[in-house]
Order: sequence, then C-alpha cells, then structure tokens
Amino acid sequence: MTSLEVNALTVHLGTRKVLDELSITIAAGTFTAILGPSGCGKTTLLRAIAGLVPPTSGTIRFGKQLVSVSSLVLPPHKRRIGYVPQEAALFPHLSVAENVAFALDKEHYTKDRRRVIVSEMLELIGLSHFGDRMPGELSGGQQTRVALARALAIEPKIVLLDEPFSALDAALRNELREEVSTLLKKRETTALMVTHDREEALVTADMIALMREGRIVQHGTPSEVYFAPTTPYAAVSTGDALVLPAKRAGESVFHPLTSGVSPESSESGTIVIRPEEISVSHDPHSGQRAIVTKIEYYGHDAVVEFGLIESAYLGTLKARISGNTEFHLGQSIYVEHHGPIRWFANT
Amino acid sequence: MMSRLERQTVQSKRFSTLLIATLAVGASLLAGCSGDSSTEASELTIYSGRSETFIAPFLAEFEAESGIKLNVRYGDSAELAAQILEEGENSPADLFLSQDAGALGAVAEAGLLLDLPQSIMASVPARFTSADSKWVGITGRARVFAYSPDRVSQLPTSYLDMSDPIYKGRFGIAPTNSSFQAFVTALRLAEGESATETWLRSIIANQPKYYEKNSMIVEAIENGEIDLGLVNHYYIFEVAKALGREISVKDGFFADGDLGNMINVSGAAILASSKRGDAATRLIEYLLRTSTQERFVAETKEYSLLEGIAAPTGLPALSEIAAPSVDLNALRDLKATQELLIKVGLL
Amino acid sequence: MERPNPTEQKRTRAHLGGFTLTALLLALASIPSLYLILRVRSISSDELVAILARPKTVEIILNTFTLAIVVATLSVVIGTLFASLIFSSNFRSRGILLALSALPLAIPSYVFTYCWIAIWPSFRGFWAAALVLTFSTMPYILLAAFAALRRIDKVQVDVARSLGCNRFQVFTRVILPQIRNSIAASTLLVILYVFSDFGAVSLLGVDTFTRAIQNLYRASFDRQSAALLGLILVLFAAILIFAEERMQRRTINARSTARIKEEIALITKKAPKALAFAAIIAYSLLALAVPAYVLITRMAGNFQGIDLASLATATFNTVLVATLGATIAILFALPLAWTIISTRSRFALATEKVVLITHALPGVVLGLSLVAFSSRIPWLYQSIALLAFAYALLFLAKGVGATRTSIERVPHGLKEVATTLGVSPLETMRRVTIPLAAPGIGVGFLLILLTAMKELPATLMLRPTGFDTLAIEIWSAASINRFNEAAPYALLLILIAAIPTFILSRPDRQFQDEGGRQL
Repeated sequence: MTSLEVNALTVHLGTRKVLDELSITIAAGTFTAILGPSGCGKTTLLRAIAGLVPPTSGTIRFGKQLVSVSSLVLPPHKRRIGYVPQEAALFPHLSVAENVAFALDKEHYTKDRRRVIVSEMLELIGLSHFGDRMPGELSGGQQTRVALARALAIEPKIVLLDEPFSALDAALRNELREEVSTLLKKRETTALMVTHDREEALVTADMIALMREGRIVQHGTPSEVYFAPTTPYAAVSTGDALVLPAKRAGESVFHPLTSGVSPESSESGTIVIRPEEISVSHDPHSGQRAIVTKIEYYGHDAVVEFGLIESAYLGTLKARISGNTEFHLGQSIYVEHHGPIRWFANT
Repeated sequence: MMSRLERQTVQSKRFSTLLIATLAVGASLLAGCSGDSSTEASELTIYSGRSETFIAPFLAEFEAESGIKLNVRYGDSAELAAQILEEGENSPADLFLSQDAGALGAVAEAGLLLDLPQSIMASVPARFTSADSKWVGITGRARVFAYSPDRVSQLPTSYLDMSDPIYKGRFGIAPTNSSFQAFVTALRLAEGESATETWLRSIIANQPKYYEKNSMIVEAIENGEIDLGLVNHYYIFEVAKALGREISVKDGFFADGDLGNMINVSGAAILASSKRGDAATRLIEYLLRTSTQERFVAETKEYSLLEGIAAPTGLPALSEIAAPSVDLNALRDLKATQELLIKVGLL
Repeated sequence: MERPNPTEQKRTRAHLGGFTLTALLLALASIPSLYLILRVRSISSDELVAILARPKTVEIILNTFTLAIVVATLSVVIGTLFASLIFSSNFRSRGILLALSALPLAIPSYVFTYCWIAIWPSFRGFWAAALVLTFSTMPYILLAAFAALRRIDKVQVDVARSLGCNRFQVFTRVILPQIRNSIAASTLLVILYVFSDFGAVSLLGVDTFTRAIQNLYRASFDRQSAALLGLILVLFAAILIFAEERMQRRTINARSTARIKEEIALITKKAPKALAFAAIIAYSLLALAVPAYVLITRMAGNFQGIDLASLATATFNTVLVATLGATIAILFALPLAWTIISTRSRFALATEKVVLITHALPGVVLGLSLVAFSSRIPWLYQSIALLAFAYALLFLAKGVGATRTSIERVPHGLKEVATTLGVSPLETMRRVTIPLAAPGIGVGFLLILLTAMKELPATLMLRPTGFDTLAIEIWSAASINRFNEAAPYALLLILIAAIPTFILSRPDRQFQDEGGRQL
C-alpha cells in the first residue's frame, strides 16, 4: 500500500499554467476521485503523476519514493503505476491476453507465471474466455475492463483512472463502477480517478478532491464534501445547490426563504442550501408562499422549481421531493428550509 | 489463449533467426562477390565497350586456349571510360576494349595506360594506333552513308553534299553517338573550326532527322522514314541480322579522299595499374591474330586492320577506301567538339 | 529516499541512437552532391557563367521543367480521378481495377519506350516522352490518393450530406481537401522521378538534364560541365522540395468516436458507374497492351533462343540485390522517421530533404559519385553490398514518407500507455509502434523494391563484374538491336515487378483500433 503525495506542483502546457502549486495527499489504499469541470487540469494532474508531462516545479512522492522534483523526473516506465486512459487504448494488434500480459516482462516473470496472472486477471474482470479475442471485437465496457486488468497485472502501487466510464451507458456504468472499486479495494491499491460526473465520484470514492483552475479546493469524504463544502463553488461541484444572498445579524441569518427583515447592521454574505433540504407543501404555515414554475420528474424523486411570491429574489429556486408527488405547474405552494445553514461571508 | 503468447515468442525467435541468417548470407555474399583483387596471372578483368553478343565468343576461345579466366564487364565504351577515369589508379580493370578511339585517347591522356610492347604496335598500320604506344586498333569501322537504292537517285559524293536541298528532311544523323562526334572532331582538325561550324549549320538547315543510335538510322531508312544517313559501315549487317531478313539499305562511300570516308577503329589498351600485363598482352595478341581477325570480318562484318585480310563481303578493301589520314589520337579532343555541337544546338 | 534519474526529454539514450543513425544517413546521402561540388570546384567562374548562359542550358532547364510539369499534371489528374472513381463507385471488382491501373508501375520506362517505338517507329519527341512517363508515374498518385481516401471517416460524408451538400459537393468540399497532402507528397516524388529518368528521354530525343549530363559524361570525359548541370538540377530539386513542404497543410487528426464501418459510396447509378469502369479499363489497356503485345510477339519470334539459365540467374540477381537495397533503405528510414517524429529537430528534417534531393539525381551521377568514393576500398567496390547500398540511397525517398506517416499515425495514447506499463521507449517502438506501423512501412519497402528492380545506369557502373540483373540483360540486347533477345528478360522483369505492384494495390488489411477506425 502506497500513499501519494503531491506538493506545490505547477505544470505548464506551453505558456499556459495548468496546475498552480497544487498540493494533495492521498492516503494509502484509498480510492480518491478528482472532481472538476473540463479544463480544470485534472487530466494534466493525472499525467504528471504518471510521468507523461514534466512539471515546472513541485514534488511528487509515491510513499517514500520521490519521483518528481521540479523538472527532474523519474521516467514513466520506471514508476510502476497503472494507468487507464479515457479511451481504454488497448493495443489493436495484440489479443486480449497479450494486452493483459504486456507489462509482464520475461526478466521478472516466467512463462507459467505470466499465464497464471493473465488467467487470474481475466477471471477477475469476468472475461475468462476472451483471451484470444482482439480488441476490435470487444464492446466499450469490455475494453475498459481489459484496460484495467492490463494496468493491474503488474500489481502497481498506484492506479490512475482517467474518466474510465464516460463512454458507457448508465446501467453498464453503474455495474462497472462497483466492480472496479471492489477490485481495487480487494487489492489494497491506492487509486486516483478523474471524473466530471458528480454522482460517480460520490458513489465510488472513499475521498473526493474538488479541483478548480489548477488547484484543489476541498478534499474530504463524500459526505464531508457534500454536506460541508468549504466554498459555494465546492458546494455546486458536488450537487445541486442553491447559492443565495443572505444577511447575518448575530445568530440569525436572513435569506429569501426566511421571513423577517434583516437589521441594518447585518453582515452580507451567501448561504448554500441543498434542494432536498427544502420542503414543499400546501400548508400555509410551513414556510414561504411560492408558485411552481417547473417540475422535473426523475421517477424516484422530482425537482420542483418555484418562484417566491413575497421576495425580491429572482433567481432559480428548486426543491427536491419524493417522486410520489401531486404538485403541478402554476400551483401555489409553501416552501421551507430544513437543514444546516452554511454561511459564507462576502470577501 | 495461452497458445497466442507462445506463438508470439516462437515468432520472435523465428524472426531473430531469420535476421541472423540474412545477415550471414549478406556477409558471405559481400565477401565473395566483391571486385576481383587477386593478382594471379590466371585471371584477367576486362572492361569491354564491345557488346557481349559479339565479343564473347572470341573471349571464350581465348579463355579455352590460354586457361586464363576472364571477368568481363560489359558497358558502353564512353561510360566505361568515364568510370575508369573516375576509378583512377584504383581501377580493377586490366584491359580496356573500346568501340572507338576517342575513349581510348581520353584514358591515355589521363596517364592511366601502360605502354604496349613494340611487337603489338608493329602488327597494325601506324595510323590505326596511338602515337605513344598506349593503345592499338583491333578492327576498323568505316564511316559511310547508308542509303536506299530505290529512293536515292543522286548519291552524295562528299560529306558537304549533306546540305544539298535534294536531301532536305530525308536524311538522318546521330549527333550524340561517339562515331559522329569522332567525325566532327576529325573535320575540325582537318578544316578548322569555322569551316566545321559552317558545315554543321548548313546540314541543320537541311532538316535532318535525329536519332540516338546508328542502328536506328538504318532502320529508319529501311522503313522509309528517311532515305539516307551517316553511319558506320557494319550497321546494315547488324540491322539485317536483328530483323532476321535481308534489307534494302546499302552502304555508300563518298568520293576518294573525302573526309566522310573516315576510318575509325575499335581498340584495346592495358591499364597501368594492372598487375597482369602479361596476360593482357596475350589477349591482345590473340585479337590481332590472323584467324581471329578473319573471324571478325566474317561475324561482325568489321574491317580487319591487318594487311592482306579480305574486306567484309560486298565492301571495298580497306586500302581501297580512299580515306584521308586522320590522326585518331587527336580524336580524344572531344571537349571542343562537344562545345561546338552544343553551340550549334546539336547537343 | 531515492533520487530520481535525471533525464531530460530530448536526451535519452534512444534519442542519441536515433541522431547518430540520422547523421550517418545524412553523410551518406550527401555523397552525390558533395561529388558534384568537388568536380565543379575546378571550373573557373568565367567558364561557369559561359556554360550557364548558353541557350542550350536554358533549353535543357525549360525542357526538364515542362516535361515534369506536364507529366505531373497528367498523372495527378488521371490518378486522382481514377482513385476517386474507384473509391466512390464502390465496385465489387475494385481490387482488379486497382491492380490493373497500378500495373504499369512494373514496367520500366525504357521498356515502355522500346515497345512503343517498335510499333510506331516515328514515336519521338516531347509528347512521346510525356506519354511514357505518365504511364510510368500515374500509379504512384493513384495509390497514394486511394490510400488517403480510405482513411476518411464516413461520418463526415453523412454530416455533409445532411447539411445540404450533394454528392459532388461532398467530394470537392469535404473529401478532396483531406487528401490534398497525400497527393502533394506523391506529386513531388513524381516530379523528382521525371528529373532523374533517363530511359525514356534519351531514346525519344528529349533534351533534359539527365540526357545532357549523360552525353557530357560519355562524350567529353570532362566531368566538370556535367557536374555543373548536376548541381543546377540539385538546386531546382531543393527549391521544389521546400515549396512542397510549404504547401503541406497541417493535417488535423480528426478522431471521431463513431464506429461506422460502412463504405462510402457516392456514385451509385449504373450509367456513371459503367462509364467510370470503362474509362479505367480503357486507359489500363492502352498502357499495358502495347508492351504486352510487343514483348510477347518478340519473344515468340525467338522462342528457341531463350537461355533459361541466364534468365534464372538474372532473376535471382535482380531479386536479391533489390531486396537487400530495400531492406537497407528501410533500416535507415526507421531511425530517421523516429527522430523526426520525436524531436522534430531541424537536423533530421534537413536529412530528409537531402534524401529527397538524391532521388532527383540521374543514376549516372550517383553511380560515378559512389565510384569515386568507393573505388579506393577494394572489398567494397563493385560488390553486391555497394550496389544494394546505391539502390537504398537512390530510392530512400520513396520509402521515407510512407514510413514517417505510418509511424505518426500510431495513436499517441497507445505509446503513453505502454510506457506507464513499464516499457522503455525503445521497447515501445519495437512492440507497439512498429507492429502497428508495419503495413505502412511495408508499402515503403515495396515501392523501393519495385523501383530498384528496374534500375539501370547505376547498376551498370556499380555491379560486380559478371553480375547481371534483368535490367542489364535487357539493355545489353537492346543496345545491339536484338529486341527479340531482350523480350524474355523484359517480360520476366515485368512479371517479377508485378508482384510488389499487386501487393501495393490491395486495399490494405490494416489494424482497426477499438473505435473501428483504420490505422
């Protein structure tokens, strides 16, 4: 089990600074998801860890081993990590078995040992009889699995996954996610997965690191990151969030969903609440009056968009409620917030 | 499944073996087939501008008789001369057989030829040898005009007649051919530059057809494209043989003493760098033997340069052709000839 | 704590190896040009000017250029047209059509010329040469265009049609611009070849550089003027090479994720298809019928005289030395291509250009330059190794492009994954890049092989004494007008050369990566 430590890593692509003194420590054996929008540098971070792109400054350590100090780098083929790229990238001229065995060199592995490992790996990914098939004959999900098996065959200390499930349909994606994380857990591999899919990150990972513009914004467990975001941006990254202007005076916080007027001496700021923390009912005593402007129905739940009648706030407001709903467009409803107030002062 | 891996290892083993085998073959060929470098007197390397079809039987006879093994390199006389000049002292050739005197002269001028023994020089009339004993003529080639008896009523009596309007557009020359250029050189030496230039311009004005080879001229006369052309005497025989039938084209000689009747020679010389001068001398002696010379007359239809040997059938004896004396040695001065030909636009 | 190995991208051991081999190649490929410069040195500047100012020199330059331009234009038009027709019409007999139209590649230009002269004695002059050379070179454009057409993703055609383009517009606005680079590159090779061709122009009396140089060597033994002409030729070739590079647009590797494996079919109606079919067949017959007829009738006229032993030896010799030459060429092309791709160094790119220039030189210049440099080395001079090496130098240009692009096309992602799997860069080359690039490299190998089999002037000078190839035998017989004797050798040469030609014309069986895209 190896930990991964990145310290003040800066990476330039051309003249553009993509990673900006990024620091993060990944504990050994954990599965961490790097979550962020396109262009934030997550793939570059992965590639820098893999050794495929040279940093400008900063260090990278695998456990105690220093692999990258400023522009002095240990070449990628000496790092013993597993890398599963976005498009699986199986070698088209080699069979599935040959792909999986690719990294097992003759020096360290006998022919028998190789054979055993390949068959173990194929069984692990559920493709035991696919050894002789060629990559071109496989579906996307199968290719991803083979790519994973290939990366794991040498029992790497660290596995890097670059949006491995993005090309798959929903059902397959779920199934594969679980398989992969179970597999990695079983082997106690430290894994780092890059994704822009929030749900994927929350479901699969032990830890989530939120990334923005080349830096890590928050790093914690899924529930920490979801329920206790450190910035409004972090909140929005992990799920639907309502970022509302608010005022605070002492212990009281005033925002569009509260009644009451804030005193003059109040401090201005922002609060973040989650749509599922808002209740919707016909009961006039349960909150502010609002009108339903839109309903999105997801089957197991529904999102009700509404406009407040007695508030100056004009932004989109949503509430997430059970799917078993009887609300409809234009209806008059009452909305109330039940949940923690996450206050962020205006800077 | 595993058989594929095994197959791959076997394949790469086979590949390595094949590679080694190829290199081994290549190395042995390299060693075995390089240029002849032994100094044994039982071998001789000949550069022959004379075509294999004509000279090989003679060489085979010599080989059988003398036991000297002959390595013959066939090519174009002028190109071989250029190659010998480029090779210089490192030339592997012992003997140079040339179709024309100019090539021999050029090599002589570069100081690459050995003095031939007096016995050889004396066996051939002096005008058919080099003045400095560097080369000796073997067979004679008369410049003639080939013509169609049916179509040419008025035969030219002098080379000057080629500008006669009666032949306008109906005669052929081969300006790139060494025998034509030898003639022009002789003309320059005899009549001077300006007279030669005048003549050249006059025949150009008479719209000749240009051909690359003398044989093409004869063929063109045969199929009616032109009526006459300036060639060497033996081409009518050569073309007839190639076509497998009699042809109607005849050789015609200009008036006595006209330069158009010039006699050129094919000759032989020994390279100064050769270590097998004795063997080479023996070959030249063989070529100048009466029986060999008679064979030349019979088979290739060339003139023998020895006194008393009959001319090819149907042609006047060498002594009867009233050709002016031309210093064949001077024929090597092709550079000026070339410039003149370029100047008038023939080259 | 371990210290990592300090390595900077550009200085790995593998790169050093690549650079060394490239430098070696540069040195060797410069031999002919250096030879020319050495010979020219002794010309006084007055003489130089005099030679350059001669009207004949201007005529030679004009002739060469006009011929090259005419031949290139004809080849490009016919070659692109035929490739497009075959591609768009999706004939079932596409393989045969391609093979037929490519077959003239197997016929040396001097054989074409002899055959045409045989049936039409007044066949001479500029247009005759243009015809013969077009026959000889059109297949290069055809094959290059067709290969490029095959790489186009059908999804682009579908999208273009949905955006309102009719079939013709799809072709001109979407397809043609994408194959432009391939066509430009092969056109350059065609032009350089026309510069260097000697067989056709000499027999047909067209005064180009090669003919003039040849005559100067043969007649004046003064190698200086010939060398000067050679240098002018080098200069023009260099200009053209730079111009072509400018013309190359940067190809954007459009990677689509579509898995469409259907063929693109733009011409579907019967009448146009039939017309296209007829046009291609007619042209091919015209090109092939004359040589076939002449050679077969000539051979029939001399059946008893066929020397089987000599035929067999000549065939063996031809195949042996051509294969060796092509192998040496590829062994040089690989490190050159790799160095260019991984470092883009100007040095490597310059080497590529020098190789191209060497391709434009007449065989006689290369031959003499190698004679000059190697006659001092007895074990090397006039050896098979030297001849193979000469072929490699002469024809490397034909393989270098194919090698480079096929290596470039191996997706970068695959190479990266390989390194993360612990495989060193050199091993990645061996296990991933080369196997995937092999079909493309094979094309280069076959092109060089094919051309080497037909080579004449350098072979005359450099071959071991007594070692005759089919081309030499043809020349020997033809030089004394014994065409009947030449015919069997010519036919055999064409048959042997038809094998690589046929392989080249096959729509490639290449690897498909996981997206169904062809590499």
